[in-house]
Amino acid sequence: MLELKKGLDAKGHLVLEMPSGTGKTISLLSLIVSYMLERPLEITKLVYCSRTVPEIEKVLEELAKLNRFIEKQTGQKTKLVGLAVSSRKNLCIHPEVSQEREGKVVDSRCYGLTAGYVRARAARADTAAGDGDGADPVPTCQFFEQLEESGRDATLQAGIYSLDDLKHYGRERGWCPYFVARRAIQQANIIVYSYHYLLDPKIAEVVSKEIVQSSVVVFDEAHNIDNVCIDSMSVHINKRMLERCSNNISAMEKRIANLKETDAARLQDEYQRMVDGLRDAQMKRENNQLLANPVLPDQILQEAVPGNIRTAEHFLNFMKRLVEYLKMRLRVQHVVQESPAGFLKDIFNKICVDRKPLRFCAERLTSMIRTLELTDMADLSPLVLVSHFATLVSTYTKGFTIIVEPSDDKTPNVYNPILYFRCLDSSLAIKPVFERYQSVVITSGTLSPLDMYPKILDFHPVIITSFTMTLARPCILPMIVTKGNDQVTISSKFESREDPAVIRNYGNLLVDMVTAVPDGVVCFFTSYMYMESVVSSWYDQGIITQLQKHKLLFIETQDAAETSLALLNYIQACENGRGAVLLSVARGKVSEGVDFDHHLGRCVLMFGIPYMYTQSRILKARLEYLRDTFQIRENDFLTFDAVRHASQCVGRAMRGKTDYGIMVFADKRFQRSDKRTKLPLWIQEHLKDSMCNLSTEEAVQISKRWLRRMAQPFSRQDQLGISLLTLQQLQSEEMQNKMRERVTHRI
Amino acid sequence: MAEDEEEGYRWESGYEKTWEAIQEDEAGLLDSSVADLVARAKRARLHRARPHVRLGIMRHLYLVLDASEAMFVQDLKPTRLICCLKILEGYVQEFFDQNPISQLGIIVTKNKRAEVVCELGGNPIKVIEHLRKLSSAPCVGEPSLMNALELAASSLRTMPSHASREVLVLMASLTTCDPGNINATIQSLCKEKIRCSVIGLAAELRITRHLAQETGGEYAVCLDDSHLRDLTMAHVQPPPAVAHMEAALIRIGFPSHNTSADSPGKLSYCMCHLNGPAPPEGPDRGGYLCPQCYSKHCELPVDCATCGLTLMSAPHLARSYHHLFPLEPFEEVERPPGGPPQHCAACRARIDTQKLISKCGKCSELYCVDCDLFIHETRHVEVAVTSRGSGYGGAARRGTLWVGV
Repeated sequence: MLELKKGLDAKGHLVLEMPSGTGKTISLLSLIVSYMLERPLEITKLVYCSRTVPEIEKVLEELAKLNRFIEKQTGQKTKLVGLAVSSRKNLCIHPEVSQEREGKVVDSRCYGLTAGYVRARAARADTAAGDGDGADPVPTCQFFEQLEESGRDATLQAGIYSLDDLKHYGRERGWCPYFVARRAIQQANIIVYSYHYLLDPKIAEVVSKEIVQSSVVVFDEAHNIDNVCIDSMSVHINKRMLERCSNNISAMEKRIANLKETDAARLQDEYQRMVDGLRDAQMKRENNQLLANPVLPDQILQEAVPGNIRTAEHFLNFMKRLVEYLKMRLRVQHVVQESPAGFLKDIFNKICVDRKPLRFCAERLTSMIRTLELTDMADLSPLVLVSHFATLVSTYTKGFTIIVEPSDDKTPNVYNPILYFRCLDSSLAIKPVFERYQSVVITSGTLSPLDMYPKILDFHPVIITSFTMTLARPCILPMIVTKGNDQVTISSKFESREDPAVIRNYGNLLVDMVTAVPDGVVCFFTSYMYMESVVSSWYDQGIITQLQKHKLLFIETQDAAETSLALLNYIQACENGRGAVLLSVARGKVSEGVDFDHHLGRCVLMFGIPYMYTQSRILKARLEYLRDTFQIRENDFLTFDAVRHASQCVGRAMRGKTDYGIMVFADKRFQRSDKRTKLPLWIQEHLKDSMCNLSTEEAVQISKRWLRRMAQPFSRQDQLGISLLTLQQLQSEEMQNKMRERVTHRI
Repeated sequence: MAEDEEEGYRWESGYEKTWEAIQEDEAGLLDSSVADLVARAKRARLHRARPHVRLGIMRHLYLVLDASEAMFVQDLKPTRLICCLKILEGYVQEFFDQNPISQLGIIVTKNKRAEVVCELGGNPIKVIEHLRKLSSAPCVGEPSLMNALELAASSLRTMPSHASREVLVLMASLTTCDPGNINATIQSLCKEKIRCSVIGLAAELRITRHLAQETGGEYAVCLDDSHLRDLTMAHVQPPPAVAHMEAALIRIGFPSHNTSADSPGKLSYCMCHLNGPAPPEGPDRGGYLCPQCYSKHCELPVDCATCGLTLMSAPHLARSYHHLFPLEPFEEVERPPGGPPQHCAACRARIDTQKLISKCGKCSELYCVDCDLFIHETRHVEVAVTSRGSGYGGAARRGTLWVGV
């Protein structure tokens, strides 16, 4: 908290590592909120970005608790407005639309019901029906209509609104919760939403542009933030998408021809707008109202849309040429890699398209969709994607690369060409965030090594700290197992990973741990491929049968539905005492989003070090870029990434002070100091020398004894004075000294 | 563990870092700190706060013993099974000693099944006999907690409502193989007010902790064999009575004891040994005669084999009585610096050399730790107060008595 306060005072950026379950969220929230109440001028808004919907919900729960506490302490109502913003899918209360499963479908159906021109048409149809014309009424969303009618200026009352609260609120008043939330962003003091609303330039423009500068932005669970940044700026195009693009274009052509006959004036209107350029947007930027959109750099805004794409037909022809060109590029037999500049030159030579119109592609397309009154956005998505690609490729020459591969990584023999347009520089997407907001806090349970993040995100934090846990008992047991019972070194390194002796020893380790550990055990492999080969040889060696004697076996697959079913059954097996083993993959869905607290994960085994697939072209390009631009050695980055994922995996088991779990790193290479020192501090603290370089048998003995100790009753009394402080204790001289010591020690 | 049992080989066990628990005292000596640790642990058990609650004196308890493969693990010497059975033998004896009007049965679960080895009964000899037989039985497969609980519940369900219904599970396995939803079983146990306590031998298993929590029992995991003994013995004390339990009167017989010397009666076999192999000493003249039907029993307490009357002696009942009015725990006092040498009020040993001294709150006599433990755990009557007698003497002389429970 002290560190956070310092950071806020300095109005700088922070990187904090705190183990999960130690009150990270609540301490962040309470300090920032108090700061906000105390000095409302310096900090006006808190933007809290989390990763998944359940996490967002959890934050709001904490926030509501905090709000009640403050109200109780001060005895008066706070004027805080906190709310969660999520996609239409999570907020829709329309009886038909909310039945849809896929987010995209919900979005487009909602768009079809609420877009401005649809409503205008509906109004026209209504009057026509009133005249007795007999025209079909155009469907609109009644919730949105009611909001428009009554709630334009209505504001949310002070309070904390979670997603469910919003829905409830919406139902009560007959207002659309999604748009209520969208409108309330401006008014609210605390906003909780997902990363993408701030990082993805396409969405950020819509949602987050109105957030004022003196806000504090918190990125929770931010260990993967660089990848999120990169993904938000990257585009993949394959053949099927291009085919659909062509279909889209021809459909639009027809539409234009139609329109021309009936309503030529509208097209003329649009043309005029193009000539005027994007002056409006420019005005806004000068007022510093707009979050700088990295897709549209400054100079574009000062120009008018170039002549050759101003009319609708010309633009469509232009797009057609572009799509054909991309199709041509995809017709390759070998891997091609080139820079955006090279790509632009090639495109100029082949189809005589130069850079400038390409840049305006995205803008021009949205404008055209508006003019044509197209509602089915989901259907048009490939075309939108291509236009984004065109804009990005012509805007940025540095930090991006284009790779055309004849086949997929996973299926190397099937011809399925893909064009990757990859962002290599994670700092691009997040740069406007750092520049715009007063303080940005990046926090997670596993951020070590901390100095890497400022480097790859290219910012200068005022404070970087890693906190450890103060615990009344050693509730994590990290162990590094390096050899099996027969003294064979175990490692997942390339040369030895197919060795049956290594696989057998991994199997024996698992069987032994499974006999010693109650309830849930989670194993992480380095990749799906490795897991499959290991499981099949375990089957041959009879290890699977031994496993099933003790626990049920579940396996994560690449299919999301299958995996969630497996997870559900896994939880059930843990609940009713049968016990279960879950085999999953680092970097998979399980390793990222699922918590295995208490009995669900008493033990986590990490088989091997989860290095990235180093043969991938994309990774190679990124490594090269990192080396050239930020002076980060390839090996350093790879290790950083691998250890970060490993600690993320094992961190799944530890979700709070009363929780306990074993963490087994089963690879000889974890033993080395370059890996060991990169683990988060709160794990390193417990990783004594006697816990390294163990054999399977030793590890099992240690964990047996440890499990017995952990099962002893653990009451609040024991924690008091160590990890829980009463008010008196907190104020006592001795404790104050101790805390001061800790702080100075850390610095 | 008893020395006569064959010990497991040392190298089969884990590394036992016994030195970690020991710390040097100010003088750099180890002895005192070890003794101190032991004594403190013992006292801690006594000092567990006991508020004034109604206790279920009349207990019906099923012991559920896991006899799965996991029982053969040798972390308790020589194996978990034999260690458990030894401890349970002592427990059964103590149980009937302290709860003379209670009944106990045994259920064993293995190979995904559960069976009743010994029906609920009040005869410790029979129960111990069954326990002894179990040590040679093979341990196979997985246990089924659900089957065992269902079995216990089906039998306990019929018990009268003034008696407490309890299950004590000793679980070695870390898995349970159940035919249905165990949570439904736990719910029905809650409804029947059956209190389930669990002692784990290996690690904390979620479902067993849940079971204990839901049904109001205790959950514990043992560290080693002596800890296991302590945990088991903690269940000798009757639990607090559940709210719904109604008060009732039960008939109890106080048999007269005929010693072979003072009675010229005929030689006869006692009821306890009538069906089994004849006792080595042959028929006897002495024994306890039921005041109702005059059948002979050789030990008390027991349910009369003929008429079903609960037989016990007055001291037994008195011992149950102490659960209701326990002796106040002694205070721990600091050794007074200097002064004349002081002696324990019970054993007259010098206590000023020891670290821990206990003091009776009522009469402020001083006791050593060992006597403190003896008085509270076994005797239940303070030594210095000599004039406290059993108030049941008169009734017991008359034969039977109605005892409220």
